[in-house]
Amino acid sequence: MRRLVIILLAACALLALPHGLSFSQQEILVFLTINILLVSSYRLLTLTGEWSLAHVVIMGVGAYASALYSKELGVWVPVSILLGGATAALLAVLLSFPLFRMKGFYFLIGSFAAGEIIRLLWKRFRDPFGGPKGIKGIEPMPDFSIGIYDFDFFEPVSYYYLSALVVAVCLWVLWRIERSPVGLTFHAVHWQDKLAEASGVNLRAYRTLAFAIASGFAGIGGGLMAHYVGTINPNSFDVDLMVYVLTWAIVGGTGTFYGPILGCVVLTVLNEIVLRELGFEQMRPLIYGLIMILSILFLPKGLESIVQHLTTRGRGKGVEEQRAAE
Amino acid sequence: MLSKIMKPGLTRRTFLQSSAAAAAASSLPRLAHAQNNVIRIGFLAPLTGAVAAWGKPGLDGCQIWAERVNAAGGIQLSDGAYQVEFVAYDNEYDPAKARTGATKLIREDGVSFIMMLGGDTWPGVQPVADKTGMLFSTLLPSDLSPDTTTLIAPAEVHPIYNVTGVEWLAENRPELKTAVMCAQDDALGLPSVATYLAAFEAAGIEMQDEPLLFDPATTDFAPVVTRLMSSNPDIVCLDTCYSDYVHPICEQLFQQGYQGQIISCTADFYDQIIAKTSKEFMEGFLFQFPDFDDPALNSDQVNFEDPNGFFAEFNKRYPGQWGAVSWEYASVMDLWKAAAEKAGSAEPDAVIAAMKEGGTGKHAFGDARWWGTELFGIDNALVGDWPVVAIENGKATIKEFRSIPAWYDKHGDLLVKHMKAYDQMWDQR
Repeated sequence: MRRLVIILLAACALLALPHGLSFSQQEILVFLTINILLVSSYRLLTLTGEWSLAHVVIMGVGAYASALYSKELGVWVPVSILLGGATAALLAVLLSFPLFRMKGFYFLIGSFAAGEIIRLLWKRFRDPFGGPKGIKGIEPMPDFSIGIYDFDFFEPVSYYYLSALVVAVCLWVLWRIERSPVGLTFHAVHWQDKLAEASGVNLRAYRTLAFAIASGFAGIGGGLMAHYVGTINPNSFDVDLMVYVLTWAIVGGTGTFYGPILGCVVLTVLNEIVLRELGFEQMRPLIYGLIMILSILFLPKGLESIVQHLTTRGRGKGVEEQRAAE
Repeated sequence: MLSKIMKPGLTRRTFLQSSAAAAAASSLPRLAHAQNNVIRIGFLAPLTGAVAAWGKPGLDGCQIWAERVNAAGGIQLSDGAYQVEFVAYDNEYDPAKARTGATKLIREDGVSFIMMLGGDTWPGVQPVADKTGMLFSTLLPSDLSPDTTTLIAPAEVHPIYNVTGVEWLAENRPELKTAVMCAQDDALGLPSVATYLAAFEAAGIEMQDEPLLFDPATTDFAPVVTRLMSSNPDIVCLDTCYSDYVHPICEQLFQQGYQGQIISCTADFYDQIIAKTSKEFMEGFLFQFPDFDDPALNSDQVNFEDPNGFFAEFNKRYPGQWGAVSWEYASVMDLWKAAAEKAGSAEPDAVIAAMKEGGTGKHAFGDARWWGTELFGIDNALVGDWPVVAIENGKATIKEFRSIPAWYDKHGDLLVKHMKAYDQMWDQR
């Protein structure tokens, strides 16, 4: 019952959220919502102990695929977004054959190379990828009405509701996966790989599974972005954005499900709203970098450690009060 | 009720009305600015990151322009004089951030006009422009198409003006017969490659090899330069490379012993290139962007007001920062101001109508005409004369002003041919 109330309150808060924001903040909220899916899906891969540098490019695969399905084949946009995710997952399975012959640092570098190859292919083949300029005039999400509300997807509020719903469903699926025996096996692959292997776990199959699932959700995120902005190009998915994803994950912490989300929200609000509003338009990279270094120095376990600290203290107090009452 | 407010298929007028109402409700202090007769102009360009060199100096130039105009009484519209104020948004050369920036500038800051660098960022902004009818300017006319009715390219007809440099070179250095070219493989590099190919063909200069297209992520230019020099060309053409490429390529050309002619679209911060190479090596380097202390800019044909004073003030405030775009956004503002005063209004529709009246306009380098149907599908590019600049004794010097339309009238078919070959015509992009 208590959980249901919390979920309902959170849903109400998320519904009301855009109406308390300015127009540009509503735009940022749309991209933030999509980036939450990107960084959460990235965490699923890190559960197996592998850190990829191709995750943003994989998101781009979903974006390109979704854009092309809708533009060239006339597929309905919501379906093309899902197909974009499926394409990204499929490509991840193909990439897993060479990539999972490597581990650790070698996998990291291998994934970077694979990502760059994909980006170069987008640039090289003007047909169908549009070359360096990418794809323009991507089909927008079709507007519709549900009686009490007309969804005009040019408006950030409408697109936020759509993306929030999609991202919420995806996060729920990711959370369920992590809590399932499959998720526990991902942890085992990371922390007890020899023991897991001795118990009959196919390490490579589970790494591939995590890579494919994470890529599929990143691809859905890419599709959501492509149909909102209306244009994509190879530079939209370059290593700069990948560095941001790594930063969100590291600053937020990857020990909990909410850690990377926390990192993404806090750093995006800081970079895109607070620093801009304070007039530090051109000094943002400098200040952003400084805050990142400080947070790593003083919060080595990420922002999630603050939440953990506060909740354990709260719980501890509760237990003490209960004991005193007894 | 809610569904009535949020009707799909919002018209431009209702969109602007609702935006204005929302802006009034959410930002009363800003409204107070408007009541104090302030016109806000949006500056939506990269101010950080790899392309910042084509945004930040332009904003600096605009601030000087605004101070000068405000000191002279501001902009005279039918209902009185207005002071001008720039509102900047760093789009980091990212289409998604450009969309956010355009939304903020229009719906929150209430700007009357937005200046952009364009390129990769324009497609992200185009839906906002279509919906709001806001007037935008770009420095890259390759953004133009028949659909972009509220986008103008009034300062720089990149890369078409590059033909003037090649034409001047062919006339003044007829002994130069062969050329090679390199460019970054992107939206800025490719139309420029097509233009230089047309210009070399028109000038009878033989290309020794296909243009060498390198990835924009390239950092080591030694192999690029080695390959360029392997055919011993008379001319090395650097196309429209970003300054991050022009500098290391020049260094490599110097280190590998190249002694021939170099031609480039830009030579931003050329004093630094000279410091890294030598004055002798850079002597005769040909490009297209003058320093504004050049005496040739004081001629009657030039419409940019007090270019020498502007250059001196810019260098006093931002020493060593003068670049290709330092004056361009300010020159766009000259044109916008004249049109707004002619129309008596800052409304986008009225300004663009006044700007294009008679089919001609006052470009920074002389009177020019609105042009572009053949190449861009719309006559929204202001084209006229453009300077050819050479480095002489360590200083950029205007050699001559040359007419772009005159070249196009003679060799336009060549330009169309090469643009088509590189898929750069408006209906191919």
